[in-house]
Amino acid sequence: MAKKIVLIEDPPLKTCVGCRTCELACSFEHDETFNPKKSRIRIARKGPAISYLVVCVQCLKAPCMEACPTKAIVRDPKTNAVVVREDLCNGCGACIPSCPFNAIFMHPEKNIAIKCDLCGGRPACIKYCPQRVLRYAEQGG
Amino acid sequence: MPFKYSGYTGKYLRVDLIRGKVSEVPTEEWRASRYLGGNGFGTKILWDEVPAGTDPFSPENRLIFATGSLTGTIWPTAGRLEVIGKSPLTGIYGDANSGGHFAPELKYAGYDMIIFQGRSDRPVYLWVEDDNAELRDASHLWGKTTWETERAIHRDHDDDQIKVASIGPAGENKVRFASIMTSGRAAARTGQGAIMGDKKLKCIAARGTKDVNVASDEFYEYAYKIHQQILANEYTPNTSRYGTPGLVTLMNEIGRFPTKNFQRGDFEHANEISAEVIERDFLVKRTGCFACPIGCGRAAEVRKGPYKGTYTEGVEYETINALGARAWNRDMASILKGDLLCDSYGLDTISTGGGIAFAIECFENGIITKKDTGGLELKWGDPEVVLQLIEKIARREGIGNVLAEGVRMAAQKFGKGADYYAIHVKGMETSAQDPRAQQSYILAHITSTRGADHLKGFPCIDESGYVDAAVERYGRQYLPEIVDGVSTKYKPMVVKDGEELGAIADSAIVCKFGTQFPPCYYWPELAKGISLATGMKLDVAELKKIGERIYNLQRCFNVREGISRKDDTQPKRILVESGSGRAKGYSAGPLQDPMLDEYYELRKWDKKTGWPTRAKLEELDLKDVTDALEKIGRLPES
Repeated sequence: MAKKIVLIEDPPLKTCVGCRTCELACSFEHDETFNPKKSRIRIARKGPAISYLVVCVQCLKAPCMEACPTKAIVRDPKTNAVVVREDLCNGCGACIPSCPFNAIFMHPEKNIAIKCDLCGGRPACIKYCPQRVLRYAEQGG
Repeated sequence: MPFKYSGYTGKYLRVDLIRGKVSEVPTEEWRASRYLGGNGFGTKILWDEVPAGTDPFSPENRLIFATGSLTGTIWPTAGRLEVIGKSPLTGIYGDANSGGHFAPELKYAGYDMIIFQGRSDRPVYLWVEDDNAELRDASHLWGKTTWETERAIHRDHDDDQIKVASIGPAGENKVRFASIMTSGRAAARTGQGAIMGDKKLKCIAARGTKDVNVASDEFYEYAYKIHQQILANEYTPNTSRYGTPGLVTLMNEIGRFPTKNFQRGDFEHANEISAEVIERDFLVKRTGCFACPIGCGRAAEVRKGPYKGTYTEGVEYETINALGARAWNRDMASILKGDLLCDSYGLDTISTGGGIAFAIECFENGIITKKDTGGLELKWGDPEVVLQLIEKIARREGIGNVLAEGVRMAAQKFGKGADYYAIHVKGMETSAQDPRAQQSYILAHITSTRGADHLKGFPCIDESGYVDAAVERYGRQYLPEIVDGVSTKYKPMVVKDGEELGAIADSAIVCKFGTQFPPCYYWPELAKGISLATGMKLDVAELKKIGERIYNLQRCFNVREGISRKDDTQPKRILVESGSGRAKGYSAGPLQDPMLDEYYELRKWDKKTGWPTRAKLEELDLKDVTDALEKIGRLPES
């Protein structure tokens, strides 16, 4: 069964506070460094209150897979997550505008696209999220 | 060559605003190992580069924006910014600290610190992006509020995730307690925003994609453990839910809530300006700073009445007190409005509120009249008085021009005994702890190196009796007095420890939510965390020594400016009048001197002058400082 990362909030109290700890956990998990620009999950902040989550929803019919000319975006058989194969990605960026959720990014150093791969089934962002509002949910749920 | 220590970028910027020149400098190894970062970096630069007698409003003053050794990592609360410069409010050492997201962005952009010197002849801003920085014209931003400035930068650069540290009109007008704002979070105290205004520096805008690396992989799991330690602390849920306003009710109950310009320590309308009221009527959503597990921030909105439409980040306990109880103002909506005005114009709410309460009391006593106020009747409990004075101060208009100098200078101007109503230490308006009801603050306010302030010593354990933390940190032998708010016993030891812990927190840079309140982690965890991040091999003793070195150097800076024991004193009202609640019958007068004696003794400072001794300074490897003080006759005999 496909899963995805979602934000379950009940504002004003139970809410994402925009601390971006998830970005740091993600970047360390994947690149062993702290760099939000290497994070596959992003929290954008605006004004005093708004913080919104940008992360792949693991589309069942994924436009990024269709847009990729090198077939580098594939489905992980274990988690059903949509993942980028670094060895096949040529960094052309065609997937980026194809995503309706703006949830694929270019890696700031390597010439590859990066996106949420669900950490192979144990997402670091969920483990770290101090407000416990990031959840691991069933696709379509 | 890569920098010896991880956690740092290994370079910083020196910006000469006279020549418009930006240079990149390698971070020195000794700077990191001896002064750690943030507050330590800034202190050392002020000592080295700002000689005694320098006018804070002169090109010779420095303004330093510093990150710390943990900034940008996943260490809990490691997102804070430290700003350091000689204070235009106090004329001595000055710093301000802010949460938010600016400091990590500066590090991701490639820099440990920025030193500004000189003064530009036209408004400029510094654009910092990925190992590059340049000064740009800011004429189109001059006059804008801090929120407007941020939006304009986002528009100009087509990127709404750029982090901006800016001043508003108050900083431009050199109000001596002007703040620096980053998305509604304030580096507010000691008027660092006024230095920015004097240098014609409107803002810094940063964007970065660089790494912050740590020395050991173990850091990641250890930081997770500390996150969980903070989340598991019994006081954290309350701090998360109510933020600092949760203190209003608590502090009011124990008579520690300054009311009517410190005439009292309790406010009979406190329940109208409490955290519960904010949550019920105004709260939009909780917010948080970078990498913080607590999330004490809040966005609030006024939905009806004359202040409808007010939408602000905050409000904090200090602001509720400063713009509320301090002026006998019980209108929560007006406090939120005042908070928004202060944030937008770039004013420290604590000093602003201190000035307003001072002005009202001077008016009540006939020291100033309607002739001085432009016809405005200054009376207690009038929200409009509070809001109009904020506007006047920010614009330096009429009476506001006098109040913009801070209460110490305003009292000199007013004369006629006005100084009795000026509640400050060394020129900085006292924050919202009535020291008579929590007597560790009798000392903490006066030994703070930046004037009356809670966040240097931040002695929390006697606030309402944190027994477990007291036992864990100091041992069982000091109970029960150590946690007793109206006892001075053992407090000099607690204040000294807090000042050194605080110096490290401000250099690492982490929030004192966690290190001091709630008391979740302490020296051992900081030593281990900083060691794992940087690769330095720091044990508790070595880290304490760095903290003590930083704090002593701040004191030496002040001694060089002429500060001595006579300046380490509470204002007259606190010395002679009794407090309220549990502080009834207590005034600071009889308590202050014995506490100071004990404190100087613990610090190995001279009791007569309050100057650090040669023995102490050399123990801290500050021989050059010792020699410099000796040369000007400010080193005690023995």
